[in-house]
Amino acid sequence: MKNDNKPSERNGERPKVIFDGVSKHFQKGKESLHVLDDINLEVRDGEFVCLLGPSGCGKSTLLNIAGGFEQQDAGRVTIDGEEVDGPSSKRVFVFQEYGIFPWASVWDNVALGLRDVPKEEREETVQRTINMVGLAGFERAYPMELSGGMKQRVEVARALAVSPDVIYMDEPFGALDSLTRLTMRSEIIRIWQQEQKTILFVTHDVDESIQLADRIVVLSARPGRIAEIVEVDLPHPRDLGSPEYGVIKNRLYALLGVEHTI
Amino acid sequence: MILPILWILGSAAVFIFADRFPERVRDQLLPISVAVILCALWSIAVTLSGTATFPSPTDTWVGMVELIESNRIWGDIVASLHRVSWGFCLATLVGIPLGLVVGWNTRTFTALNPIIQGLRPISPIAWIPIAILWFGIGDGAGIFLIFLSSFFPITVGTMAAVRNISLVHQRSAMNFGLHGMQLFRRVVLPAALPQIITSLRIALGVAWLVIVAAEMVGMDSGLGYLINDARNAGSRYDLVVATMLVIGVIGIILDLLIRQLERFDEVRWGYARR
Repeated sequence: MKNDNKPSERNGERPKVIFDGVSKHFQKGKESLHVLDDINLEVRDGEFVCLLGPSGCGKSTLLNIAGGFEQQDAGRVTIDGEEVDGPSSKRVFVFQEYGIFPWASVWDNVALGLRDVPKEEREETVQRTINMVGLAGFERAYPMELSGGMKQRVEVARALAVSPDVIYMDEPFGALDSLTRLTMRSEIIRIWQQEQKTILFVTHDVDESIQLADRIVVLSARPGRIAEIVEVDLPHPRDLGSPEYGVIKNRLYALLGVEHTI
Repeated sequence: MILPILWILGSAAVFIFADRFPERVRDQLLPISVAVILCALWSIAVTLSGTATFPSPTDTWVGMVELIESNRIWGDIVASLHRVSWGFCLATLVGIPLGLVVGWNTRTFTALNPIIQGLRPISPIAWIPIAILWFGIGDGAGIFLIFLSSFFPITVGTMAAVRNISLVHQRSAMNFGLHGMQLFRRVVLPAALPQIITSLRIALGVAWLVIVAAEMVGMDSGLGYLINDARNAGSRYDLVVATMLVIGVIGIILDLLIRQLERFDEVRWGYARR
């Protein structure tokens, strides 16, 4: 499975996102926390990759580095060969907590990244994106009037509207109830298939990662290292009861070092 | 003596059988019944103590009518409101921009925050002698004192509001390339606005408290002056208490007015139960 690390060589296409020896320490008082250790990863264009690991393994930190919100100590991240050196609307986050602005309507939130786009094109894009995430009719609503799932749809729409190269999702469905979470997972797969975006998705939920990802990058506990990359070669929609699903699930639980029978 | 006791019994009955009234009526009746009980107790206390100086509720009512009919009170209400509006508006015009800048810019914050925090605990009342020295007896001193008493709550509240903007919202703004005036107009100001409005509310409340004290000490008009004048001119405590009630009612009206700011769509999220 190790050679899955280099999908580019296998497919002969250029990788979209490259993590090259990324390491990170945090200074906590006098203590130095080693959070990420020598992360090497290549993500194909249009690929859905999940970063799976226990709490505190540095998976969110890795995403923040790739988004330009945090600075790594060593190594580099490149997107289409260009080094990441700060936040940009070419790589957009869908946040863990609600990052949409509660003071702005759904429409204004989705239009946030389109300020420099001509009016006609902007309105067309905003409406199309709102329709795509299933929020037509709620354009004038404010986030406080929406349910948790609908707010998260606004976040997704805001990210899609700027047609970014890469979308980063940091446990985006963590605050939702389990049924809404399932709906949002199938929605995100539908949108991903339609838009063919590259998605990096952080989660600690084993099922979520198998339902969504092309490949699952399993990170070990601190310092975060890539323990293994597991390929999920199942077509969408995925059958959660299939034997292949069970095999992958067992493998992931074993890698994470937990028993999944209780 | 009999009448107030009957009032108390009647109000107590309302309290006990409150469930039998429709909800809307009950919400009005309950506070009214408590007010009636308080007035009745006040009346009984005046009768029992046999005081000649402290007014009964009826005396106060007669005093109130006298104040209104003599037209005297209107001039004093206008004088007090005039000082409060000017002082409060000036404090808003200076305090909100200053709070926004100091809250946003870390260097300015480090430089100015200790000074602001050091001046803040000084009661505006303590400034009265200086206010009179600088501005003389009159509107100038009143406006200056109201400015001081509103300025600190507004500035400190605005600073705190800006510094409390959540990391996720800041990161969203950075992610979508907001900077400069756009960052300010689309994120900093709207994010801080609910807390700014709360600080305006607090400031106006403080201003209304301070103006009465200031007028009692160092001015020759206004509701505070009226209280002092009523006492000095023949111990008219009926007018004193009547004026106190007027001050209370105007305070409630001011608060109701400024609370209207909380109803805009852009800020309602800040007051929702979390």
